[in-house]
Amino acid sequence: MTSAIRADLAEAHRQSLQHVASPGARLDAERRLQIAAAATQGYLAAEPPPPWVRPFADPALDVAFRLARYAGTITQEWYEQVITEGMHPLEWVEIVGIVVATVPPLAFARAAGRALPEFPPSVAGQPHGREAAELAPATLNWVPVAAPADTTASVVQALSALPGEWDNMWRLAAAQYMSDAQMVDPLWNRGTLSRPQMELAAGRISRVRECFF
Amino acid sequence: MLSWSSIESGTPADLAAIAEGEGDAGLPHGAEIVAFAEAIGGWDDAALASARARLVGVAGEAFMLDAAAVVANFEMMTRVADGTGARFPADTAAFRTDLDARLDIGGFTSAR
Repeated sequence: MTSAIRADLAEAHRQSLQHVASPGARLDAERRLQIAAAATQGYLAAEPPPPWVRPFADPALDVAFRLARYAGTITQEWYEQVITEGMHPLEWVEIVGIVVATVPPLAFARAAGRALPEFPPSVAGQPHGREAAELAPATLNWVPVAAPADTTASVVQALSALPGEWDNMWRLAAAQYMSDAQMVDPLWNRGTLSRPQMELAAGRISRVRECFF
Repeated sequence: MLSWSSIESGTPADLAAIAEGEGDAGLPHGAEIVAFAEAIGGWDDAALASARARLVGVAGEAFMLDAAAVVANFEMMTRVADGTGARFPADTAAFRTDLDARLDIGGFTSAR
């Protein structure tokens, strides 16, 4: 008998896919779905091109592909090169937000042996333009963040320039892992994995992905 | 986080399982969890199915589903960190040196 997926987790994944298919701060839904498709292809490709190849000759899609497949190879030099070529830093942040909204539902379904999720139809409308009230350069991230910068952890401020992307990421984190409030308790768990078992799974996948952070 | 939570729970974990992908870290079902995370990180669907079945066999499907959710979360967090150039504050360097060596991660491109 197949166990049901927790309702809060299923809902967080559904909302994340809907988030991708809705207008963002700078990109409309059709473009966001194109970026998500590139990320999906990058994450699932059986024989992907090497990291330095830009398979789409389209900067936004190429960033999404590389981030989905080879995140650990992305350097500050490459980020600056893409920005110099004409991408706005906040478009880069939005692409990161789309990739991190796309990969978790895919990764979970593949890991659990369930059907891969499909995106809902795109929502019509122009980009909504919602950005942090004030932006600031950061020393703990390449990308601009909500001011004041560097007063919290780098992963916490990472997407703060675009509140919609930030909200989606932390909604996913609360359902997949734990909320900020639960994180401060080293013994908190859901009744299945103990907290050390959760951290073991987290640590090994991060090591496999060659993520120093 | 593994060190902290395992010490607090009374069973200090062996970080070598994270660095090497082998062993059980001294935790129940640890070997199956490591193998499951390892298989999700690869692209061999048969290996993933085998690792999934092993984990379900020892811990049950609800446990496997929550393990899959945790791994999915860190498929997300690694991309947040690497996509935005996240780094640690300079004042944590001394603490990090020993941990980086134990995990053998200092040579990663993502080490900033």
